[in-house]
Amino acid sequence: MINPLSAPVVLPLPAPFEESAAVHPQDMPAALAFAIARSLEAAEKRADLRPLVFVVSPTFQNERGRLSGWGAQGLGLAPERIVMVKARKEIDAIWAFEEALKSGAAAAVIGSLEAPAFVATRRLDFAARAGKASAIVLRPRPSPDLSAARLRWRVGSAPSAEHPFDARAPGPARLIAELARSRDGQRGRFTLEQDHETGRFRLAAGLADHGLAPQPGAIPLAKVA
Amino acid sequence: MLVDRTGRGVVLHAVDPVARDGFGLRIGQTHADARAIAPDLVSAPAEPEEELRVLAGLAQWFERFSPLVMVDGRDGLLIDMTGGAHLFGGEEALLAEMLKRLDGAGIPARVAIADTPGAAFALARWSGQDAAIAPPGGAKAVLAPLPVEALRLEPDAVRLLARFGLQRIGDLYPLPRSGLARRFRSNQGLALVRRLDQALGAEAEPLKPERPPADYRAWQVFFEPMTEADTVMLALPPLAEALCVQLEQDGQGARILALDAFRTDGRVVRLTCGLSAPSRTPGHLLRLLKEKGVENLDLGFGADALMLTAITAEPLAGRQGELAGDAKLSDPGEALAGLIDRLQAKLGVGAVRRPLAVESHIPERSERWIPAGPDAPAGGGGPGRPRPLLMFNPPEPVEVIAELPDSAPSRFTWRRAAHRVTKAQGPERLSPEWWRGPATQGPWRIRDYYAVEDSEGRRFWLFRDGLYDRDERPFQNMAEAETAEPPPMPRWWLQGVFS
Repeated sequence: MINPLSAPVVLPLPAPFEESAAVHPQDMPAALAFAIARSLEAAEKRADLRPLVFVVSPTFQNERGRLSGWGAQGLGLAPERIVMVKARKEIDAIWAFEEALKSGAAAAVIGSLEAPAFVATRRLDFAARAGKASAIVLRPRPSPDLSAARLRWRVGSAPSAEHPFDARAPGPARLIAELARSRDGQRGRFTLEQDHETGRFRLAAGLADHGLAPQPGAIPLAKVA
Repeated sequence: MLVDRTGRGVVLHAVDPVARDGFGLRIGQTHADARAIAPDLVSAPAEPEEELRVLAGLAQWFERFSPLVMVDGRDGLLIDMTGGAHLFGGEEALLAEMLKRLDGAGIPARVAIADTPGAAFALARWSGQDAAIAPPGGAKAVLAPLPVEALRLEPDAVRLLARFGLQRIGDLYPLPRSGLARRFRSNQGLALVRRLDQALGAEAEPLKPERPPADYRAWQVFFEPMTEADTVMLALPPLAEALCVQLEQDGQGARILALDAFRTDGRVVRLTCGLSAPSRTPGHLLRLLKEKGVENLDLGFGADALMLTAITAEPLAGRQGELAGDAKLSDPGEALAGLIDRLQAKLGVGAVRRPLAVESHIPERSERWIPAGPDAPAGGGGPGRPRPLLMFNPPEPVEVIAELPDSAPSRFTWRRAAHRVTKAQGPERLSPEWWRGPATQGPWRIRDYYAVEDSEGRRFWLFRDGLYDRDERPFQNMAEAETAEPPPMPRWWLQGVFS
């Protein structure tokens, strides 16, 4: 158990290569949304407008569902930036993953891999740095195996925040991202909440000590009151 | 010896030299007659389709001599060598080379060169020489001693000519053409004169090539046949560069690229790959071929010539300061096109897709995944409401318990796991798109969509298909509505999962 007092209150900076594992296979949408949020954040830092490449297997599409452009738009990712690659075999998926990273055509590559070998993850790390892109491996469940990922996340769904107008309806979506492993030994457990304007998942206001990130043009609450 | 079933019963389709010279058997003889002459005859059924297939393959292989190759009948090839013989050391050397290669592949053949396809046909089949050459303008003299069958005539016409005592092609020369044409019934006379004109070059006879010749192709012949894919890969860069130089001169880029390997056994193996955007970067073309799998090319006992073709080319604007090395693709659009090409070459066409928004409020129809190109597809407007991140198409069945028949679900079972609903929002009612007509919709009913959240915080998008106690079917009149079967009970489905 992580001591909440010593837990970091800001999300670690995006790393070139991260892993986002669903706590339970049914939490895959949360893990995917987290991966999208992380890659968008990384791309934004570089002012990078290149597309995001998704590498999935046919099994993923049957089991977990097919990515929806409209759904991605709800998360702040424009559908025009989506390139979907379907790879039948894991070995093809890893190849496509690496190829997309190296090509310099993608801002980020998000790929679902069942059990990548350590060497393969090392190659992905190199490729991500060569292509100045972010790589995020999606895993259907956490796994203790070795990986070259600099940050390894376990992502689960969380009950949504209160809906501002309807107590019975789901409010802004939330997810819990636990940093299970990182190169510098940092650990932490973060609750993220979907920003209703951009759709992006951000650190939930009530749980971080600095409040919502200031947004240009936003009127402080005090003034409205 | 091969036999074939025809209207006249079983007849000989092909005979080998022993049967032909030793027993005097000939093609077209009935099998019974042949058995009477040679009782211990070995015969096998003919496979005309297979023969044609092999002949078509051979036609491709002959593209090593000229891009214009045509299958002629069921046993011949016509090759347009106009202005090309000197590349092979003259006409004699060319024919000798063809014979040598065919012999090496185990194919007995006769070859001939003449001014016209008709004359070459006659010389190859009826001159009795393995390699016959009619000097330019000399077709008339060379053809004169050949029998009239050599003119590609109908059997009836040949029989009639024989009755007139016209045995040789030379016999036809002095006859008046109009009289010759009139001697025959219907069109046979005209056909005879036409064949004669074609053979002598008075009437043009264009060839219809098996494969339209490509405008851009690069060639390389090797002294030693190559048996390893690695050797082929090593041989490819100069070819790619030569092709790209040709493309650049015309401001074109390749859209479909083909690599043909000419095997020593008379076959051609081909590797084709499509490009998402025209390109003339040698490195990119090479990488594509490599990923498409040069190592999967069946080289057999070796290939001694390679041809790289841009089957389809499209205009490609030239750019200043183009960098030679393709690793430094400065333009992200070009980098993306290159990436899409490589992925498609290896994973198959259609493996790389991008979403296209479609103007429709029906979730299944509101987007299509189209094969990716370097430019983002532009589509119609969006649904304007939150949609799940992952969608199921077709939707998956769920068992639902609701407090009231038409209220939001309170519990549901999906994939044998029970979920207790803690929060729900809805319904969002989606009606069938009546303007599309029933034929394109299928049995589509009104759907009530609910966004629900279970006790674990997972969010789902469920819908109820149809309404309780209401029939939405279009009836013509009251009587029809009363006698109709009651509508099926509404059912619940899961359309997607929210993040």
